[in-house]
Amino acid sequence: MTRRWISGAIGVLALALAACAPGGGASGQGDDAGAGADKVTLSLWSWRVEDVKAYEKILAKFEESHPKIHVEFKPFQATEYNNILATGLSGTGGPDVAQLRAYGGLQPLVEAGQLVPLDGKVEALSGFDGKLLEGAKGYRDGKIYGVPFAYQTLQVLYNKKLFGDNGIRPPATWDEMIAAADKLKAAGITPFAVAAGPDATWTLPIVHEIFGNARYGGTAFRDAVLRGEKKFTDPDFTASIKLIEDLKPYFPKDVVAVKIPDVQALFVSGKAAMYPTGTFDLAPVLKADPSLEIGVFQVPPPPGSPVTTPVTPGWADGSFGVNAKSAHQAEALELVKWMATPEFGQLYANELKQLSAVPGVTPSDPLLAEMAGNYAANGAPYMLLVDFRYGQPNGDAVFRDELQKMLTGQAEPKAVAESVRKGVEQWFKPGN
Amino acid sequence: MPRWRVLAVFLLPALLLYSVFIIYPLVTALNYSFFEWRGIRQVGFAGLDNYRDLFGVYPYDQQLWRAFWHNGLFFAGTMLIQNTVGLLFALLLFRYRRGKRFLQAAFTTPYLVDPLVVGYLWSLLLNPTFGPVNALLEAVGLDSWALPWLGDTRTALPIVIVVNAWQWVGFPMLLFSAALAGIPAEYHEAARVDGASAWQTFRRVTLPLLTPAIGVVSVLTFIGNFNAFGLIYAMAGSTGSPAGSTDVLGLLFYRVAFVEGGVEAIGRSSALAVLMFVFIFGVSLLATAYFRRRERMLV
Repeated sequence: MTRRWISGAIGVLALALAACAPGGGASGQGDDAGAGADKVTLSLWSWRVEDVKAYEKILAKFEESHPKIHVEFKPFQATEYNNILATGLSGTGGPDVAQLRAYGGLQPLVEAGQLVPLDGKVEALSGFDGKLLEGAKGYRDGKIYGVPFAYQTLQVLYNKKLFGDNGIRPPATWDEMIAAADKLKAAGITPFAVAAGPDATWTLPIVHEIFGNARYGGTAFRDAVLRGEKKFTDPDFTASIKLIEDLKPYFPKDVVAVKIPDVQALFVSGKAAMYPTGTFDLAPVLKADPSLEIGVFQVPPPPGSPVTTPVTPGWADGSFGVNAKSAHQAEALELVKWMATPEFGQLYANELKQLSAVPGVTPSDPLLAEMAGNYAANGAPYMLLVDFRYGQPNGDAVFRDELQKMLTGQAEPKAVAESVRKGVEQWFKPGN
Repeated sequence: MPRWRVLAVFLLPALLLYSVFIIYPLVTALNYSFFEWRGIRQVGFAGLDNYRDLFGVYPYDQQLWRAFWHNGLFFAGTMLIQNTVGLLFALLLFRYRRGKRFLQAAFTTPYLVDPLVVGYLWSLLLNPTFGPVNALLEAVGLDSWALPWLGDTRTALPIVIVVNAWQWVGFPMLLFSAALAGIPAEYHEAARVDGASAWQTFRRVTLPLLTPAIGVVSVLTFIGNFNAFGLIYAMAGSTGSPAGSTDVLGLLFYRVAFVEGGVEAIGRSSALAVLMFVFIFGVSLLATAYFRRRERMLV
């Protein structure tokens, strides 16, 4: 019992010591690398431990065209990365270039003045998608602090074989989707692989986005909320929450105790036919069964929707930025400039099977290409993540708890909407 | 060398380590909690603002009291289940010595395993989709008993309490065993000669003499329960699933400090850490003083 105190104490101490350490240039001691006299070593920090091989391959290409720069890729555990980075950026031994979280996750670093603004320094950024660029901007100053590397889209994955066996086609209308779900349920197949268990609460707002974005009014509703013309208690938003309650019979039994690995297993093993989720789940699902034939569809707008076309919600995953204390700013800037080129984007998309944020890059995987096409045609921001993570409590943090409450039968859609309004109004001021 | 110098030589290393790793971080957290933060940058003295936010900003104002209440229930449930069962085991092992060594080892094995692992194992066992517990219940025809255990707001916290007790029951058992062994046999013999029943002997002789052990067990249970984190995190996630029905102060701290990670995180989480420390430390002091007084009445 005391051990927990001690380990916590050590953590706090490490943080404190690092914060007190005298400022100065960040790592990048080129001489220590034993390379040529004027060769500079940049250290690149990331939370993608699983991508080391891919990054080494990608960065080798950069070194080919930039022979005087050597880049060291240094990944950390994703769950600890935010704290390690905040500490690393504050003293010596930090990164020169760092992978940065997007939106609200970027803000603490911006406000602490730990990053170099890239406006006017990386020309290629002007060609980037404006929606994705928002993820790399400071909330108050509007400056760009990173080069976006990837984005995520939200849609429904489906098992082609199960659809074929049951004579179902990807639905063109909401009613068709419900009819398909009824048919699957009657055949003993879970229609929607949705988890709402302890590890899955963060996916509930995502499920709501997939089914409800068109119902609450997509981008137009978001803009109205940001301008202060509408609130989350709006009847359209409440109706979009009600959709999730109505769909509950099509989720796995005891959904509130079901975890993410459970639904992945259900979907991969053919016990569930449709998986409403993000691009990020495509790789794990295909890894579990590479022979699985997967299709993708956008949820058709539910009856009464202000938006009458299907929507693919999405958001920027993160960006690469330059440490304000880096001793090799010029070289670090070279690297992030290169990260805004189609060469990097294409390498990134091919090696990591993700959607590159660099304009003009097309994924080689046909499914990913389809998702990218859907987003380009019908993209909308996942507003609770994109706009409502700049203060405590996070919009989606309040929402996920309340959605789970609703699925246990302890909250009405109206009460859920009211909680979200109340939560974000603790810090959100419209018109900023 | 004078005596105090010898003492100093032996005490100093421990004192140094203690100061660096315990006192310093505690003081730092206290200091942090009085400032306004933007990321890791302090922007000014905040007085008690961080504390006020914990009690005034939705949803923390509600979650704080809910978490506190759950810690209380967790403590009460643990005292009731873990510590009474621990006492029962100790008494039985004291009475019937067959297999004592083996049983003592068996009962204490679970606490060699990290709470995170225990929580994970039980969440697998209780999994409604693939878990063996419900499969077994359904196989023997008890379908109506196959509940979503960790997915029902009524059963989740009791399940956590029971699993926690399952892990730690060996601890009170060992302490009570040692205390029982320390009670002179004459007392029990005298009681029997006076015609006391087994229950009367236990109630009037054994139990009062266990006061010191009960005090230690209670205070340590209290500290452990109010700092609970790993087991509940593994079984119910950082949000205290389902619908916050297992949320405790440790999880709330984790969410404010790390999960949401807003610009205000350091100030608010430090304030919560200070509140938790003051409460746990204060109650532990009071409880220790109370049990001391009870002990003195025994002599």
